[in-house]
Amino acid sequence: MPKLTIDNLEVTVPEGTNVLEAARELDIVIPHFCYHEALGAVGSCRLCAMMFVDGPVTGLQMACMVEAQDGMVVSSTDPDAIELREHVIEWAMTNHPHDCPVCDEGGECQLQEMTVAGGHGVRRYNGKKCTFTNQDLGPFVQQEMNRCITCYRCVRTYRDYCGGTDYGVFGSRNRIQYGRFQEGTLESPFSGNIIDACPTGVLTSKPFRFKTRLWDLQEAPSICPHCSLGCATIPGGRYREVQRVKAGINRETHGFFICDRGRFGYDHVNHQERPRQARVDGQPVAVAAALTAARERVAGMAREHGPNSIAFLGSSRASFEGSVLLRDWAAATGSQQLVYEAHQGRDHAARTLAARLGEHGRSLEDLRQSDLIVLFGADPLAEGPMLALAIRQAVRNGGKVIVIDPRPVELPCAASHLPLAMERLTDVLTALAQKDLHAFDNHEHAFLENLSEQFDSAQRPVLIGGADLLGGKGVDALCSTAAQLSSAECAVGVMTMLAGPNSYGGALLAGDGPDFDTILDAIQEGTIRALVCLESDPFREAMDPSRAQAALGHLELLVSFDATPGLAAQRADIFLPTRANAEMAGSYMNNEGRLQAFQAVIDPGLPISETGAGNHPPREFFQTTPGSAPEADWWLLAELLERDTTLAALRKTIEQSDECFVGLSAIDAESTGLRFSAQGSLPPAAEQDLLQTGVTDALKLLAITGPVGSHWLAHLSSPLAATQPKPYVVLHPEQAEKLGLSAGDRARLTTHFGHCHVVIRTDEKMVNGLILAPQLWDTALEGMVPGSMLDCQLEKEGKA
Amino acid sequence: MNFWRDIKGTLQPFWITLGYLFKKPVTIQYPEEKRTPPPRYRARIVLTRNPDGSERCVACQLCSAACPVDCISMQAAEAEDGRRYAAWFRINFARCIFCGLCAEACPTMAIQTTPDYEICNRDVLKLVQEKEDLLIDGCGKDDEYNYYEHSGVGVANERGGNEDEYGPVDPKALLP
Amino acid sequence: MNEMLITLILILVKLGLIFGVVLSMAAYLVLAERKILGRMQMRYGPNRVGPGGMIQPLCDVIKLITKEDFVPARSDKWIFLFAPGLTALTALLSFAVVPFSPPLTLFGREIPMVVCDLHIGLLYLFGLSSLAVYGVVLGGWASNSKYSLLGAMRGLAQMLSYELALGLSLIPVVMTAKSFSLTEIVMAQSTWPNILQHPLAFIIFMISITAESKRTPFDMPEAENEIVAGFHTEYSGMRFGLFFVGEYINLIVIGAMTTVFFLGGWHGPFLPPVVWFIGKVLFVAFLFIWARGSMPRPRYDQLLRFGWKVLIPLALLNVVITGAIRLAMNS
Repeated sequence: MPKLTIDNLEVTVPEGTNVLEAARELDIVIPHFCYHEALGAVGSCRLCAMMFVDGPVTGLQMACMVEAQDGMVVSSTDPDAIELREHVIEWAMTNHPHDCPVCDEGGECQLQEMTVAGGHGVRRYNGKKCTFTNQDLGPFVQQEMNRCITCYRCVRTYRDYCGGTDYGVFGSRNRIQYGRFQEGTLESPFSGNIIDACPTGVLTSKPFRFKTRLWDLQEAPSICPHCSLGCATIPGGRYREVQRVKAGINRETHGFFICDRGRFGYDHVNHQERPRQARVDGQPVAVAAALTAARERVAGMAREHGPNSIAFLGSSRASFEGSVLLRDWAAATGSQQLVYEAHQGRDHAARTLAARLGEHGRSLEDLRQSDLIVLFGADPLAEGPMLALAIRQAVRNGGKVIVIDPRPVELPCAASHLPLAMERLTDVLTALAQKDLHAFDNHEHAFLENLSEQFDSAQRPVLIGGADLLGGKGVDALCSTAAQLSSAECAVGVMTMLAGPNSYGGALLAGDGPDFDTILDAIQEGTIRALVCLESDPFREAMDPSRAQAALGHLELLVSFDATPGLAAQRADIFLPTRANAEMAGSYMNNEGRLQAFQAVIDPGLPISETGAGNHPPREFFQTTPGSAPEADWWLLAELLERDTTLAALRKTIEQSDECFVGLSAIDAESTGLRFSAQGSLPPAAEQDLLQTGVTDALKLLAITGPVGSHWLAHLSSPLAATQPKPYVVLHPEQAEKLGLSAGDRARLTTHFGHCHVVIRTDEKMVNGLILAPQLWDTALEGMVPGSMLDCQLEKEGKA
Repeated sequence: MNFWRDIKGTLQPFWITLGYLFKKPVTIQYPEEKRTPPPRYRARIVLTRNPDGSERCVACQLCSAACPVDCISMQAAEAEDGRRYAAWFRINFARCIFCGLCAEACPTMAIQTTPDYEICNRDVLKLVQEKEDLLIDGCGKDDEYNYYEHSGVGVANERGGNEDEYGPVDPKALLP
Repeated sequence: MNEMLITLILILVKLGLIFGVVLSMAAYLVLAERKILGRMQMRYGPNRVGPGGMIQPLCDVIKLITKEDFVPARSDKWIFLFAPGLTALTALLSFAVVPFSPPLTLFGREIPMVVCDLHIGLLYLFGLSSLAVYGVVLGGWASNSKYSLLGAMRGLAQMLSYELALGLSLIPVVMTAKSFSLTEIVMAQSTWPNILQHPLAFIIFMISITAESKRTPFDMPEAENEIVAGFHTEYSGMRFGLFFVGEYINLIVIGAMTTVFFLGGWHGPFLPPVVWFIGKVLFVAFLFIWARGSMPRPRYDQLLRFGWKVLIPLALLNVVITGAIRLAMNS
């Protein structure tokens, strides 16, 4: 632990810290452009100059490049250092254009701040300025090369940290240009991070272009609602509209960066068709009236047909507090029919994980430090892209990655891949645990033998599973394997990708209640007559949507709380509009059981861009904001249950009633979150066979989560929806050949849903003999609920 | 002698005010008599145009940021040629205090104050003026400045075609 | 029976006359004050409504009546509502004893030109002016506002202090007239007005009555640059109007008192007595307006110190000297 003196203040920092970080410990801000905590130091911007007065290193040095050592005496206010910084800023500004008024970085621009801080006010250089040609980098990133100060941050973010390959630096001298070799869309699913990384306005967000000045943006710490990893984000809103999301910082989970789905998937909040009005029997009413109707009708149903005639369906999208209140409502009604996930496989997986994870839980930070990562049926880029980025950091730190999956799992790093049918994933896990690999043939045997050996030498191995493919049984096997492979020296970690931001929280609360398929049966039999849906859409999310739609037709009462234009929201007898994640405070429990709080960014209301139809806002006076009826899910439920409707009081009550959630009321949106020791219960044993019966010579189709278009909230967000692909299926090249198809062909896909037209893609990394079809919302592949196996036929329709 | 001074000090003001009672008031009887304000008087705010007739405002929001009473609001948008402009621009004159900070903050000389001070209206909404009410056909106080001729963004001229710029570099060139 | 009825009708007629004349005079005094102050400051004052702004008072009344009658939260509501009336009422009641003309003889009937010629008219006036302080104190207290309370406290202290000097300054007048009746006092001045006999008493009276009536320069209870508007900070609409009107009725009362005590009442050559009386009252009112246009406001402690340490000893001295002179003259 070296101890050094900076500006006459002493500080002790951990080994390996650079002087810039050491100064930050003392709240001394050293100006810098190129240094970034996650990217490391390269010393290229020459701005962080400090005078090393005494000690092992002396003279004017770059603070980021010098490791803190004992006895160093450093001055940040030395006249020489200040003068150097002044000159560096002046150099950086010689070619910088005079376009701050039209630059989106204004307000967040490090160059602007450093120029002011460096005291450079008057331009002395009267020569001409260099200009560059911009590239169109796709729908997310806007480039304005003239503003560049060549700090290399974007390249280090894009290539080194995120593993992108199609962006780099060209030229020399003052001709340095960053970009792609040829103009085109950036390929990396983490491309948005270069927007955050750029210290000036070269790389800005295209969807956010010219929308709002950053000082006008309302911002608050939030949690990304798009997957179960729970990355910290900072959404920004203005004019009653969420307009951008930037990465928050949580060193325990995602670190400093977020994926493009999280960054550009904010627009569901502003969706035009979002229901914003409470309804009873199709008639618009006030929220209070709808709440009264819901309370009375549910109570009436319980009186008439018994409490178990009402089922309560939560969701992974609902806040943790709202989920607790849903459980309380079910308990107050006396109903046992409470479930938090309409998709049976995901429900069983989440509940099994909540019951069995225990000490095996690992955060993304643990994963970055891991030396062996094995993915079983998990496709990080589709199910939670930041997992892929954490895996990449593990590989950069010397770790190994092994993928066992029927799908061609792409990762932004080197990985060895064993394609294996979905049903056999559990067998592999059992075999690995028992070290008995005789059931596998040559190629597979060798691969697994090698894996088994690597386990023996690994220090911090982690098993990663995916809820879609593993289901309850698979997650159970994953946890058992981890337990059996663990020894006193080496604990094997487990991480499982779940359905949504609060899947784990819902699973903890669900207990051993029935799953949604059992409830569907009961609805069909007529024993369940009413369904309450909290931010869930069972018509589309259930394992078999057509069966769900048929069964739900029997309902006498459907109550829906939602913030998105789902089918349940449209068909509900009683509808209550809820607030989107960015409009409310609350908390989510991510897939490692970490509860993280988020705050409200904006108040709900019809965006001004809509009320004014692009022109100025209407010239009328209103008593209330149009479209401001939505309330937080927990607020609605607390009001319905006649509880105290403040979040603080609600959290206190939850703490008091559930000992395992102690600490909830102290949770803070700026913190790294809190892991509770709470343990869930295993779901009921019966899990239906996923395989559908059909014609005997049919092909087998596995519905999967696609990287884009399979996520409901992301699908509702226009910046991402624009990149949603046309319906496609993926085949192994050999099978494609057998069917007379080749990549790019158009084909007709027939399943029990009917016909649809798809484009053929091939990938040789996947398992042979299976057709992979991604679920794509609002297309013919909408019914492909991930994890379900269907019989299908594929006929060629035309050439590419 | 303080006593006499105090007596004098008490009585003298009466004499002075009595004198003023018979002087002619200096008040200007406003609606009947009007004064001509100086040319730099800060009253009605207008949006001016470039010498070539295009809108000067780039919707940079600096005026609304400078405004101490938050009476300016706008939404920026991008034109086809890349020009940033105000899709809508609203000044609430009912709230404006005519401090002129907006005009001082404006980097493009678009927003300017004029000596037209007779804005009063009984209908508040008539004081909420939109871009079409604010935009004038002229340059106002500076008839030469065009922001996009100095900005580096290729809008007024081709990219790199402004007076103070070199043409775009070729990063793939091999010459030193 | 018939006699009583006629007396009653006469009293009512006199009351109506006084009411009409005093209230309209008060309203126009407001206008006069604004215009005179304006001219002293080289402005016009109100000149927009009607010719030369003559309808301004009417507009002010309409404005005040149509404004919201605001009652602050957690104020003492009933006292708050009642206090402004008290101010205006005490000011109006003072006129009961003011004689504005010698008795008239109509249809063989002598009609005294005073509503009620009390033997102790002067004491009655003092009693009422003491009661007037209640309007200020109760209004300030009931408003539940720190400014109002401060104003009320100042008003209370100031009015109590200056009432002593005021009373003492009038003792020489009473000595001369040998009566407390105002009519008698006026009668006693048929040759020489008291101002010439008792100049020192006049000066003390004028200073004290200014302080007593809270007029500038002694308007500490409502010093607007220190305590917003003092005791009537929280009042709006016609309740504020009552305070306001009360103040100007008070100005007329003061004018009448000064006229009666020192300026010889209705006595004067050539013109009818009523005209003399009203003219003198208006002149005194002008003096007060003039003072408002000329004098700055002293500090609160200076005001009290002056009252207790200068005015009261001086007034006492005046009483002693006057008494001594009268004794010497009589003996």
